[in-house]
This record gives sequence, C-alpha cells and structure tokens, in this order.
Amino acid sequence: MKAFEWSNPTNITEAVKLLQTAAQGADPDEAPRPMAGGQDLLTTNKHYITRPTRIVNLKGIRGLDRIEGNAKRGLKIGALATLTQIEENEEVRRSFPGLAEAALSVATPQIRNLGTIGGNLCQRPRCWYYRLEDVICLKKGGSQCYAATGENKYNAILGGGPSFIVHPSDLAPILLALNASVAVTGPSGNRQIALEKFFTLPSEGNLRRENVLQNGEVITEIQVPSSRMAARSTYLKFKERSSLDFALSAVAAAVEVGTDGVVKQARIVLGGVAPVPWRAPEAEAFLTGKKLDANILAEAAKLALRGAQPLEKNAYKVPLTQTLVRRALAKVGNVATA
Amino acid sequence: MQEPVKKKKIKVTRAVNGVEQEVEIEVDDVAGPEWGPNDKHAILNKHITRVDAPLKACGIAEYSYDKRLPGMLYGRILRSPHAHARVTRLDISAAEKIPGVRAIVIVPGEKVVEGAKKASEEADKKNPTEVGGKDIKPEREPGKVVRFEGEPVAAVAATTPEIAKDAIRAIRVEYEKLPHVVKAEEAVKPDAPKVLAEGNIEPRSKRGDQAKTTAAFAECDAVVEADYRTPIIHHSSLETHGIVVDYRGGDSATIYASTQGTFTIPDESAKELGLAQSKVTAIVEHMGGGFGSKFGIGVEGKLACMLAKQVKAPVKMMLTREDEFLMAGNRSGSWQTLKIGAKKDGTIIAFHAAQRALGGLGRGSQAGQPYSPYAGKIANAYNEIVAVKTNEDASRAMRAPGHPQASFAIESIIDELAYKIGMDPLEFRIKNLKDEVYHRQLNRAAKEIGWERRNRTPGAGSGPRKRGMGCAVGTWGGGGNKECVVDVTIARDGAVTVAVGSQDLGTGTRTYTRAIVAEEFGLQVKDIVERIGDSRLGKANASGGSTTAASLAPSVKDAAYNARNMMAERVAPLLGVKAADVTFANGKVAGGGKSLTWKQACVALPSAGLAARGQWRPNLQATGVHGACFAEVEVDVETGFVQPIKMVQVQDVGLPLNRLALESQINGGMIQSLGMALWEGRVTDNQLGVMLNPGFGDYKMPGTLEMPEMIALIDDGDTRPAVIGVGESAIIPSLGAVVNAVHNACGVRVRELPITPDKILMGLYTEARTA
Repeated sequence: MKAFEWSNPTNITEAVKLLQTAAQGADPDEAPRPMAGGQDLLTTNKHYITRPTRIVNLKGIRGLDRIEGNAKRGLKIGALATLTQIEENEEVRRSFPGLAEAALSVATPQIRNLGTIGGNLCQRPRCWYYRLEDVICLKKGGSQCYAATGENKYNAILGGGPSFIVHPSDLAPILLALNASVAVTGPSGNRQIALEKFFTLPSEGNLRRENVLQNGEVITEIQVPSSRMAARSTYLKFKERSSLDFALSAVAAAVEVGTDGVVKQARIVLGGVAPVPWRAPEAEAFLTGKKLDANILAEAAKLALRGAQPLEKNAYKVPLTQTLVRRALAKVGNVATA
Repeated sequence: MQEPVKKKKIKVTRAVNGVEQEVEIEVDDVAGPEWGPNDKHAILNKHITRVDAPLKACGIAEYSYDKRLPGMLYGRILRSPHAHARVTRLDISAAEKIPGVRAIVIVPGEKVVEGAKKASEEADKKNPTEVGGKDIKPEREPGKVVRFEGEPVAAVAATTPEIAKDAIRAIRVEYEKLPHVVKAEEAVKPDAPKVLAEGNIEPRSKRGDQAKTTAAFAECDAVVEADYRTPIIHHSSLETHGIVVDYRGGDSATIYASTQGTFTIPDESAKELGLAQSKVTAIVEHMGGGFGSKFGIGVEGKLACMLAKQVKAPVKMMLTREDEFLMAGNRSGSWQTLKIGAKKDGTIIAFHAAQRALGGLGRGSQAGQPYSPYAGKIANAYNEIVAVKTNEDASRAMRAPGHPQASFAIESIIDELAYKIGMDPLEFRIKNLKDEVYHRQLNRAAKEIGWERRNRTPGAGSGPRKRGMGCAVGTWGGGGNKECVVDVTIARDGAVTVAVGSQDLGTGTRTYTRAIVAEEFGLQVKDIVERIGDSRLGKANASGGSTTAASLAPSVKDAAYNARNMMAERVAPLLGVKAADVTFANGKVAGGGKSLTWKQACVALPSAGLAARGQWRPNLQATGVHGACFAEVEVDVETGFVQPIKMVQVQDVGLPLNRLALESQINGGMIQSLGMALWEGRVTDNQLGVMLNPGFGDYKMPGTLEMPEMIALIDDGDTRPAVIGVGESAIIPSLGAVVNAVHNACGVRVRELPITPDKILMGLYTEARTA
C-alpha cells in the first residue's frame, strides 16, 4: 500500500482535527481516513484503491465500543463495537433479533472479531471492476461503469445508473428497517443523520462516495430507537457460498402485528440489489392493515421488486429477492409456508 | 563365463497429461521382492497417521515460503496489466533510486519491431544506469509484446517486500494497446484478433469415422445434442509458486523450491546462475501443494536467479496470490459440442464430439470423447479436438489434466440420454460400461448412498427444497517409471534411515516411505527416519501423472529388501540358521527358535552399519484404476441454492500403502471437484481483457460450511498386489455426480460450470416459460 502517516488520537475531537489537518490529497481517494477495524480499509489500501495520506486510528479512543440500552430505551451502539459484540449481545439478540442476525451473517468469525458496526456502514463497493486497481471506473473518477455492459451478475437491479454498484453492508438494511440514525462528529461539530438520509445513490450524490459524510467526519454512534417492530425483525441474507460471501441479495424485514393478527406497520429494506439499502415503501404500505398469508406475502414481494431493471446477467436477482421478501415476512409474521 | 541375466518383456501403461499409452519394457527376469497378498501386511494397508502431521499442525514445518536467510532480498514481479500490448517505453530510473532497491531485471522478450529495437539500443548507449553493481539499461525492451494480463515485464529485489512492491510500481512502462480476445466464443470468429500469428484455432486430433457416425444417428431411437462448458480453473495451492535462491557469488548455490520435482530445479537454476549443475542443490523439505502447476523453476525462478546473480545475494521470490492467479498457470477450460444416440434398449450406438480446449495461450488439456470408461463399446464414435487460443496465461497440467472436463460433459449427456429414453441412469451406465470393475464400484456406492431413495422424476416433490442424486465414473493410469534410486542404511545402534531426493507434495510420500521399510524389517513407522526433498540424495521422478508412489514405493521396497537380506546374512550365524531362514517381525529378528531384539541384532553389523540401494521393480507396481462417485444434493428451487448433502466415492488402487492417506486423497478429490462443480471459475471481461476475480474473496473455493458428509471407500475387490497412484483418479468422477444430482433434484440441466444459483433460477424460469 501507499505509505501514509499513522496517528493515534485518544479523543474524538483530536481525531477530527487530525483528519482535517492532514494533506487532503489531489484525489478523493487520497483523503485522510479514520480507521476502526480496518477490515475493508486495509484491502482498499492494499490494492491502491484508496491511498490516504493519513490514517487516524480510532481504536485508542475510549468508550466508542459500548453497547447500551434495551428494548424500552432503544440501543446506543458505539461505532467501534465489533460485529461479534453485537451478535453476542443478549439484549440485541432478544429485542432486536434482526440486528444480531445481520451481524452474524457477515464474513467470517475472524473478520467479525475485528470489523465494527461503523466500518460496516462505510464499506466501499465490492464490484469486481471497482476492486481492480487498474480499472478506473466511474467510482474512481473514470468515465465508464464497466459493469453496466460487462460482467454484472452481482450488480444492481434497482436504483442503478450511472454506476451499478450494490451497497455491501449487511447492517445497513436492518438498521434502516429499525429507523436507526448515526451520530457524526466533524469539523463543524456534531450532527445526527437518519440512516434513511445517510446513503446516496450514484445519480443523486457524489459518485465517489456512497454516503453523505464529509471529509473529516466520523461516525461515533449508531442509535436504534425503541420500536414495536424491533422484536419482530429479521435479516435474511443469500450467499452463493455460505462460508464467506457478500449478499447476492438480502432482505431486512420488521413488522408490528396487532393482537387481531393485522399488520400495524411494516418495514422492508433490500440489500445487495441497489447502490443503497433499498426501502420498499409500496410493499410496506400494502402490508399495513392486512392479515398476513401466503398470497399477501407474494403480492408484497412483487411490489418490493417493482421497478427492477435487471442488467444482462442479473435478472435472477428479481425472483431470488422476491423469495427472500416472502420468507422474511413469513418469519416475522409467523406465517406458515409450504 | 557368467550367465547373462534373463530378460522378460512386460507391458505397462503410461499416462502423460491424461493421454494413456501402453508401452512394452524389458526388465530383468530375476527373483526379487514381492508385496505379498494385500491383506497380509502388518503396517501397510492400515490407517497410518501422517509422520509430518505434528510438524505441519504446529507450524514447525519449514516451507520455501518460510525461508529467511541472512542478507536475503525479496523479489517482486511487475506484470502486464494488459491482455495484449506492445511495450513502448520502460523506465526504471525512479525505481532504482528507492533506498533498499538492490537489483532490477527486465524480462527478456521477443522484439517484434526492429525500429523500436534500434531506437532502444541507441537509447541504451546514451543512458546506461548503474544498479546493483551492473549495467542495467533503462529502456532495454521496447518492442516487447505482452500477450496476456499478468505476463511478467520486470522484477526487483529489495531489502523488504514492501520496498520491492514500491519499486515495481515505480517502474514506468508505457504500452501501446493491441486488440485482444479473452473469450473462446469471440476467439473462434473469423475476424477475431489473432492471439498468435498462426491463428486462434489449433487442430489437435481427429479420431473415428465421421461419416459413419453421422449416419448412425439415423438408427437411434433417442438423440441428445448439447454444448457443455467449463471455465478456466485455478490450482489455488496454499503455498504460492516460488523459490529462494541462496547464491552469494562463488561457484555453488542452494535453491529452496516449492516444486513437484526436486530434480527439475538444479539444472534450470544452474543455467540461469551460470554454474555447473552439480554445484546447485535443490531443497524441498515441505511444499504447499502444486496440483500439476509446479515443475521447473518457472519464470519467477528465472527472475530470482537473475536478480541473485546480479547482486550476489540470496533472493526470495514467492508469488503473491494475485500473481498466482494471473501468471502461474491454470486448468484449461473446455467447450464441448456433443451428440449421442441410443437404441430403445439403452445401447449407445453413436457419439459425435467436437471439443475445444481453452488453455489461453497454451494448448490446454482435453481427454477425448467418448471419455475412456465408455470408449470401445460404442459402435460409432467420432471426435475432433482443437485448442482455442485466447490472450490469457497458458494452461498447465492440473490434477488429471483434461479428464474432469471430459467426464463432466459425457456424464452429463449420458444422464440426459438416460432420462430421455426413460432408463435409470445407473442401469443405463452399467449397460454401457464394458469393464465390470465399474459395475462393482457403482453398485457398492449406490448401496452406500441409498440410490433407491432418489427422485425418480427430476424436480419432483413438494416444497422448495428438493433432493437429488447423481453418479459418474472415472479412470486413470497411475503406473510408475524406472526413475528412483533409494538408499536404506542401518546403523549399528539400530537406527534405520531411508533416503531419496523425492518430494512430498502433500500426498504422504514421507509416511509410506517409512512404512514400507518398517514393514520389511518388522519394525514400527516411528523406528524409521526418512530423508527426502534434497537433490543430493538418490534421484527420483517429478510428481506428475500420479506416478510418484508407483515409481518410488517399488524402489523403497527393493532397497529395504536388499538391506534385509544383507542384515540376515550378518545375523544368521548368531542364530545358527541360514540367512534365508531369518525372520523379521514384531521388532524381533528370529530363527531356529532363537530371537533377538532389533537392537541386539544390529550389534552384528560392522561399525559403519550397512547400506543397501534399491531400484524400481515393475512387478511391484501396476497401472489402470477405476472410480465411481455418487452425490446427493439439496436444491432450493426458489433461490437456486445448492447444498451438498452426501458424497460417496469408491476407488480401486491395487495395494493401498496407507489407507488413511488414501481416504484423505479421495476426500480431497471430492472437495476439489465440488468446487469446480458449484463455485470456482475464472471470470474475464471481454472489453478490458482482464480477469475479474483474481483473489480468494472473488474466486470462490468451497469452505467448511459447503462440505457434505463424505464417504471415501477403498475398493478392496481389487486384489492386485501392486502400487498404483490415484491422486488424479480421485478428482475425476465427482464432478459429474454433483452435476447430475443437481439436475435430479430440481430438473434443471445446467451445462456450463460452475452451477451457481443464477443459472438454476434462470433455468427454472426458462423451463416454466416453455412449459
């Protein structure tokens, strides 16, 4: 990797300052970077996809890895909490099961031991073309999305264009389904960003980024509000290879079902199919006020994928994702399936 | 006058890159060692724990990759990022200024543009640069044409691996891009860019009567015609290719190599270093897998020698994983157009095949169709094989070169035909396999997996998760050659050493080498010390074609037999019996009612102990094995996910030297095959001409969660008291078994590997639409 300055701040203010005062580099991929678990940053650095002038190590900052709260108060998860901490946390498992499932679905035990929730949300795309150093695609300042007409089996079927990456985070869909927000500290102070507004489509934001964070901004905490849906939440991830893989498609679902069996509210967020975690509001609205059964699930699944525009080699993602939507809803809604 | 030794002629089969040839050889017709019946051994044909297992499990075993020598430099290779391009400028001036960079070499290449060559020579004269104490010309090779992504362009040696990496990045290369082609379907088009001047299609062989075969299809009651495709597969050895050259000037050198052939190293490195071959020693203490890709020093070894020679310091040149994917060879892909026809009763009477081996710049390996277990019984068969060239790294041998590809295709089409005429695929195979060993093996494995439980109608059953079963067969040669010289020594204190330069590429050579000697002496495996992996020891063949065991084991047996006879001569007087009546068993040397412990007996030896040499004995080995595999999988028809449930593989082997190692080898074959069936494959981009998945994250090999229950069965119905290699045989049949199981489960016939969920879902969709 390209040589960089290494700094070890002990508080977040210092960290932000270190990010701000470092040389910003000529290219966005040369900007200084905060590092938590480093599981993604090290790989992009090794392949010279990112070439930060300075790496600011966040692990020396105390208290950033706490998991606090419960079903009633909601959760406050420090950005440096590892995926293992989350998947093993009793309160998360009991009251926010979808979040524990999502954490467990990531990569391998070794990576989960180091990878953090903050880092997971800020992962860079896995698109083959993006990950090859010598291919200068749209995401790296080039003029072409090679996946659009190339080998696009893993690429976006929703929200694509001009870049067709998919967002690789497993925690983002479920956190979005749970109405989570992130606390961010930056040069101009602190701000709170709802996850709903955190991720950006290539068509609407900076092509070189996948979220609204500015240079010098650091996620410090993820807040998951208490919700009547949290206890009935799930994350279904489909991997080609169970041992270690990113999602070909994934569904985060959460519902609140009244005592009469009628859905009071529902959330469906798709992963692995769009450049952002993709919410399916039409399907959510359709479910509200209905009693769940196999037909309703199938209809909701269709609605969730409405507008999908597959590329040459990823049409399979439509039926695959519909299946996952049905299965996720069946699970949270206790609907018996064949 | 001494009577000349009587000679006899015997026939042995040799398999070279998957092509079997029967040759007659002359051997001495004299009494000598014999293995005896397979079920009468004390040590052999039992489960023997691998002798190097503790070393490997504890991380003590030292591989070439682990070598660290005083003053050693680290080498790194600069590869071409383009599939086809001309180097127009190559400037090392920035790289050589990096502190810690000690040597830079530029890969000699073909110079196809005379003008550029002249210009570069003139530039050289004007601007020689001093690096590593030698003149290096900064623009030595303009005009060099690179023909695949990954082709080495230059190499650097530096004091740390990081500096070496920085240095290769600091070498400025300008390329003029030339048209490339990386997909076979494109390469066969008449207007495709030419990969080589001769063209993209190289005819390789034609067999059979095409007109007669074509006519025979008219007689068939059922015909299936289809294209089957397999992608380029990567060896993915855990230890990458590479060598450590310990050369510090002077007239000798030691090479630590990750190789399948200890004796393929000294000659090639001596040439590069400018030394006498006898002055170069190769050491292969442990090596981390080769699967057919590691013979000779390779381009990486050449570059390491060039660098070491330049600076007179040791250079370690181990490839990175990305190098490994891009420049260290691969298993050729295939594109096979097959047509098969049978009578209603299930007799196959016509088979037509057009096969294309896809070996990048290489010729590829492709076993002909009909694949050998089925050959000979089909009345009308024709096949032609061509190599289709693309701008990709040349293929190399890989575990049963060309056989898994051929087996997958024929086992698929035979399955298709069986269903078409409504016959049980197992019955259909038995009807069309002449060799009864297959019948025995198929029936045994069918019983083990419970073939009667299978889906009678592919895709039938309720619920989204459907189970299915499939089967297939394979074959290999596995005989040996007269290439090994083995020394067994017995010291007066009882220590026994068996020494031969051969390498253990993970197949258990160390263990059986000990075990054979222990068996002969009536000792235990732990009582013997083996020395291998050193070119100063007795010569041995390279490990290719599953020939190691059948070449080495007879020589070890012969050496031990000779040592035992010498020992018997010495001990006989002590026991008061003839040498021929001395027995060796249970740690005792006995005769005439008396018995000595091994140590006591060794006191009879002269102070220098004794040494015996062994040669290859053809009667101790044989050739020709069979294998059958059954697989059960579960397919989720709503996601396309395939979960392997169970695999059963039967393998004959003659005398199993070590049942545990053999079962592991069969398991390994099933696992590697499963990888090819369901996940692995090189993916290239047509427009860019590059490989898109050159790493273990994206080139998906199976992991622990992908593993089914695996049953490895040794076919003891094969009672040949002879050693046969089956490393390659073990990988062949499982591919077809898995592929057929997937079809049996979900009803979708995927004809292009790997069978990933997208292909199953799209297959189901197409089926639903046409239904």
